[in-house]
Amino acid sequence: MLKKRMFSAATALVLIMSLLAGCSGGDQKNTANNSAGGEADSGKKDKVELSLWLTPQWKGVLDASEPNADYDSFFKEAADKFSKQYDKYDVKVNVQVIAGDQRDEMLNVNLNGGTPPDIFFESVFAMGDYVHRGALEPLDDLVDDTAKADIDQKYWDNVTFGDNVYFYPFAHNPGTLAYNADMFKAAGLDNYIGDANEIQTWSLDEYNNILKTLKEKLPKGSYPMGLYALNNQGDTWNLAYLRMFGNKFFDDERNIILDDENGLKAAQWLKDVYSQGYTNPGAESVSSNDANAMFQNQQLAVSFTNAVLFNNAKADMEAGKAPKFDIRLANIPSASGNPLSFTYVVGACVFKTGNDVKTQVAKDFVKFFSSDSELVKSSKNSIPVRSSVADQFKDQYPLFTAYDANSANLFNFTGNVPGYSELRQVLYPELQAIYIGEKTPEQAIKDYQSKGNTIIQQAKESSIIYSK
Amino acid sequence: MKRRNYHWKENVTGYLFILPQFLMFLIFIVYPIFEGIRLSLYKVQFNQQTFVGLDNYVTLFHDPVFFKSIYNTVIFVVFIVILTVAFSIFVASAVFDKKPRYVSFIRGSYYIPVMVSMVVMSMVWGFLLNPANGLISYAAREMDFSIVNLLGNKHTVLPVIIFVTFATNVGQAIILYIAAMIGVPKDLFEAAEVDGASRIRTIFQILIPLVKPTTIYITIINIIAVLKIFVVIQLLTGGGPNNGSVTMMYYLYNNAFKYNQLGIASAVGVIMFVITMLLSIPQLRAMFKEE
Repeated sequence: MLKKRMFSAATALVLIMSLLAGCSGGDQKNTANNSAGGEADSGKKDKVELSLWLTPQWKGVLDASEPNADYDSFFKEAADKFSKQYDKYDVKVNVQVIAGDQRDEMLNVNLNGGTPPDIFFESVFAMGDYVHRGALEPLDDLVDDTAKADIDQKYWDNVTFGDNVYFYPFAHNPGTLAYNADMFKAAGLDNYIGDANEIQTWSLDEYNNILKTLKEKLPKGSYPMGLYALNNQGDTWNLAYLRMFGNKFFDDERNIILDDENGLKAAQWLKDVYSQGYTNPGAESVSSNDANAMFQNQQLAVSFTNAVLFNNAKADMEAGKAPKFDIRLANIPSASGNPLSFTYVVGACVFKTGNDVKTQVAKDFVKFFSSDSELVKSSKNSIPVRSSVADQFKDQYPLFTAYDANSANLFNFTGNVPGYSELRQVLYPELQAIYIGEKTPEQAIKDYQSKGNTIIQQAKESSIIYSK
Repeated sequence: MKRRNYHWKENVTGYLFILPQFLMFLIFIVYPIFEGIRLSLYKVQFNQQTFVGLDNYVTLFHDPVFFKSIYNTVIFVVFIVILTVAFSIFVASAVFDKKPRYVSFIRGSYYIPVMVSMVVMSMVWGFLLNPANGLISYAAREMDFSIVNLLGNKHTVLPVIIFVTFATNVGQAIILYIAAMIGVPKDLFEAAEVDGASRIRTIFQILIPLVKPTTIYITIINIIAVLKIFVVIQLLTGGGPNNGSVTMMYYLYNNAFKYNQLGIASAVGVIMFVITMLLSIPQLRAMFKEE
């Protein structure tokens, strides 16, 4: 009996020990990883493992037509090149592509868990909040005179928060409209079609006329313009529409001032184009992805786009992945006649991980791929921020000149306000309320302004930039 | 002393066997509950936690969206649970005494949606219901009907979610009911038949009272599951239109991961925990009493 009990107790003990051993195994591994950091004692370099996250930008290293081109191709190539020439450490970079709408979830979870990525490559507007929260390393020490001379000051302004630079500008990605010239021709709108290498500018009256004609002439199941408000994706175009009648959106104190005559006119315009059937139905339940897919399937004549989406759409057509049509660019019109232009500056930032060695290597890697004369050529997949690269490719890509001409009408859609990520979450429910008729445009912009300013105020109180 | 030693020796093996599970329970269930309660009293920022007392709860109770989320969650719980229990009793009582092959077929048919992930189901429904390029709106357009956006209408979005969730979950309840009903002694039915009771009367007077423990179990697990309803909201409506379908879990998720308001999200979690406890205790007590 006693023997039997002893045996049972021993079995239970072995079970527990094996469980504990299982748990502690991971710790040992971690220790091994953490030890990788100091200088090498022997001739062999110590290993440093970096994690780099990015949202989908362009496919391939230099071009989407390369075999097996994917969103991570560029960074895998850059990491390979970097580790071959880097003499301080043996560097391995783990590249991970994150869906744009998962970015904040992934980052918040990992920041709270103390495991942020070392590097994040993304549009600056989406990452500004992390600067205000004190999660990013300043990158001023990476910026040298050569870079300052090659990259226009307006891009440096875009990545500067307070007194410091937090992102290394790589490319920029201007947002415009795209239109299906074949559908325009079929509707008899030839006069409104611009040159293939230009960004066409329509007045607001012309645009309204285009939408009306398309509504009358397009076949069943096709719609003049894409409109969406399911979530915050692609909301910059919605923000642009709200400025159509001249509203400045933010005042000098960085507060929202949409609730005025011009803001109301813009909200009313959105309501009108929707209720008159000038857009796809169900905008409140349609995402920007849906709208983009509908445009590529020729169910929409006019839709939103940016330089990367535009190039990807063309590449998909060439590769036979999407129906081929004559796709061209147009500006977002405004009542003043001047086009509404905005751009996403895209670049890398470095997260504070508490590991000095990794931070330094991450910074070195960012500087490397953002300034290496060969690698920066990949910025031609959107629009290069470096004049040297733009000059090199301007004959091959005539649209670079058109985008450059547009930059005179740029507006800063984020206003560099703190709490911008949360601010985005309160816009689309108000747009939904307008489209489903639950609120008048007047009430919706009033509520948006009130909720938005509360968010900005709260974020200002905890911003490291504002508390300086 | 000697007696206590004896008692200890007698039971040590048992304690050692439950120790691993108990440790896991403490680490992964009990600790997060207390940590959640603690965090609900703090304002959590990057690298910094500030004690704010009950401020997070005050903020919650001043937010109309939070009340909307409670209202929607209650509606979902009530309707989905009632529909699930009623429909599964109806199906199970209709088929439990039929030929085994037929019972298996019915069981299998209703269980297939349970095996398919909720994510896949939501995506399929999303594809069907998308107002711009979905199959239902396409068919409506082809037949010259006006397009109704069921997900963009405040009056139809809740019934659609209730139906989708119910259709996905009901198979589990049917399986449990059929198993319970097959286990009811046959002589009771024979006696009822001899007494001339109708089938309806047999079902209501014999079958349903005898499967009461199963009903309680199904009700509890469904209440708890529906309180946490999330995937279908995230994928089908995104909480819209204008927060019309936001639930407590979705509200918690938004605060925790989108707005980075961990303190407020924890406060929602604590409130959900309390509601679940309050709903479950009387029913668990009833179940144990029966046993």
